[in-house]
Amino acid sequence: MPGQDIQLAISSSPHLRSQETVPSAMKDVLIALLPVTLVSIYMYRFYAVFLIAVCMISAVLFELLFRKVMKKQATLYDCSALVTGLLLALCLRPGTSWWTAVLAAFFAVGIAKELMGGLGWNRFNPALFGLVAVTLLAPLYVGANPSFAPLRQYFGPLDVITQATPLALIKQGAFEQLSLSQMLIASPGGALGETSALALIIGGAYLLYKKQIRWHIPVSMIGTILVIATFWGNPLANIAAGIPLYHIFAGGVLLGAFFMATDWVTSPVTTKGQVIFGIAIGVLVMLFRKALGPTEGVAFSILIMNAFVPMIDRLTRRPKFGELPVKKEAVVPTKPSVSKST
Amino acid sequence: MSVKTFERGVFLPHYKEFSEGEPISTIALPQEVIIPLQQHIGAPGQALVSVGDKVKAGQKIGESSAFVSAPVHASLDGTVTAIEPRPSFTGDKVESVVIAVDMEQKEPQWPERDHTALSKDEIKAAIKEAGIVGMGGAAFPTHVKLSPPRPIDTIIINACECEPFLTCDHRMMLERTSDLVEGAKLIAKVVDAPNVIFGVEINKPDAIEALQNKIAGENGLSVVSLEVKYPQGSEKQLIKATLNREVPPGKLPLEVGVVVQNVATAIAVYEACHLSKPLIERVLTLTGDAAANPGNLKVKLGTPISHVIKERGGVKGAPPDAKDELQMPPHLVGKVIMGGPMTGWAQSHLNVPVIKGTSGILLFSPAMVVESEHTDCVRCAKCVDHCPMFLYPNYIGLYAEMGNFDEAAEWGAMDCFECGICVYVCPANRPIVQFVRQTKKEIAAAKAAK
Repeated sequence: MPGQDIQLAISSSPHLRSQETVPSAMKDVLIALLPVTLVSIYMYRFYAVFLIAVCMISAVLFELLFRKVMKKQATLYDCSALVTGLLLALCLRPGTSWWTAVLAAFFAVGIAKELMGGLGWNRFNPALFGLVAVTLLAPLYVGANPSFAPLRQYFGPLDVITQATPLALIKQGAFEQLSLSQMLIASPGGALGETSALALIIGGAYLLYKKQIRWHIPVSMIGTILVIATFWGNPLANIAAGIPLYHIFAGGVLLGAFFMATDWVTSPVTTKGQVIFGIAIGVLVMLFRKALGPTEGVAFSILIMNAFVPMIDRLTRRPKFGELPVKKEAVVPTKPSVSKST
Repeated sequence: MSVKTFERGVFLPHYKEFSEGEPISTIALPQEVIIPLQQHIGAPGQALVSVGDKVKAGQKIGESSAFVSAPVHASLDGTVTAIEPRPSFTGDKVESVVIAVDMEQKEPQWPERDHTALSKDEIKAAIKEAGIVGMGGAAFPTHVKLSPPRPIDTIIINACECEPFLTCDHRMMLERTSDLVEGAKLIAKVVDAPNVIFGVEINKPDAIEALQNKIAGENGLSVVSLEVKYPQGSEKQLIKATLNREVPPGKLPLEVGVVVQNVATAIAVYEACHLSKPLIERVLTLTGDAAANPGNLKVKLGTPISHVIKERGGVKGAPPDAKDELQMPPHLVGKVIMGGPMTGWAQSHLNVPVIKGTSGILLFSPAMVVESEHTDCVRCAKCVDHCPMFLYPNYIGLYAEMGNFDEAAEWGAMDCFECGICVYVCPANRPIVQFVRQTKKEIAAAKAAK
């Protein structure tokens, strides 16, 4: 009988796939981070190269180690450890000690990602989790606990925060020291990833163009911050002083809006949910800035909202096709279609 | 030209260039035809013949007394050699009548009649007698679809052919325009529908023009140009695009006063009414990047697909050998699919027959075969953004994978028509359509157990 002795692949439909894969998406994120990475290296030279290398290498090693211990297949090919490592480095300030960076990578990749079940199961953005973990541990170590004294002597202070950040300058009312155009294009101060608003905007635009992120989260988050920054106090004076723009360009808002809050795994999948998520982060950021110290407000805001994502998804479910009444017309007048797949 | 469409969906590569320029042609007769007694959704038929019987082309050989069913006919003259379960395209075995074909035979002559003089009941009877089912793939008996319990105002002829690779409907629109329009009018007459719409994707401008010329000046007939987007040819999306009506979840198109019929079905209706010809052959597309000689072929139902492939030169680079055996070298052909690439079935062996719903036979080279493992969902929401039914394929997959089928149903599994977009766009290559099928099965079983 013809065709009996053949080897054919049997699989369920569909039999076509797009070119999109998890590694290709992660590579797009790495490409999008390239401009700000280059600016930070230009600004901080060796300090930046050093931090980026330490973070990326330790992120990779922790992923290997944790998966080995948990007897799981290695997943380095998905490149998510590299992305987490680079994002983490961009959240740190130049001069951060190597072991702080390693500790942050441990919390990011080991605890926040791998212990939660690996990529896809993590509830919190790994890089931000790592950053916040070392931020919270710093007082513990730097503080009065005498048992840490030898460590402190050996390693030096946990973190080196010497330079006045633009945010701190705003807080002190001394923001005239930095012009908006400086902040937009490139200026030192703050973390590696806060050196150039323009570089972050270019990266975000690339991700939008490649359809790796949707506009809903960045626009709602940045828009909320703009509105609150304008209307907190005297709107006219705020605008005249350019305060709303300072709030956008400073302190990791753009890094957070384009690269952290849009993290696939830890953001809502519903459109409405993404808008709510972005607005809530924007509100939290401004609350932190107005009420508390000027540091890490963006990181905390995003992490807090990460926890609400499952609830947001459930509450913002869209109706199915055909569940909503449609205006019935016998034959609708022809008009060019405006709907697009997104 | 205004172009209509539905929301969401996805732009697929067309792959139509292999066969869209090939006129419909015929192939040599097979030595054997295998006629499954069930080629439709509904009750299976009973054999009306016994082993050893001589049968004539067009003779009814299987039928059921149930309303939701369709008779089957011998597609060629020959002798019944077996009535036994034979593999079908789904992999399941289906009771089939096997006929050894007489190699000397003439095309049967069908008596012509004035189809415009037929009454509604006569048309419906002719459709049922001819064994016509939806030929786009779903294979729902057409006479049942044309017995709606409520008034119908519009017949939509589904001429989208939105699946990549397939071109048989396109060719029929060009070569049998008049028969198609007559068939559509007959269908509209059965249900008293005043409007007939031909919905055509704009990658077939010649078909749109041919139809427009044919229907010029006729009342109630129109051609609607549709964006080239998958799944434009899905009933609910087609109705939304052409009429802006939404069929509610779990309901049929008749709920909004519409019946949708495919191009091939409409032509079969014309043949049944004008010629009293039963459904014993159909046009299909043999194509794919591994096909030696892609084309649009008129094939007798029951023809094994191996015969169709062999008659068109077999696999590219591996023609049939000296003994006329089909060669299927694994380095040249990796997958054989019956139907379109998005909803069709991969075949494990090639003796399965062409049936009423077979719109294509695709030969994929190994390069076209995706075989990577799937990973965990990364919640990228691409499936959510593209789902034409506005479901949450990501959650359906996650919960079905955990065995929580109630929750999978909660996120929309039961409303999924398995178009395959979620799997196509998934960067983690998750087999969401399989999860959906599993959920439907489990939920049905749980309901039955109650």
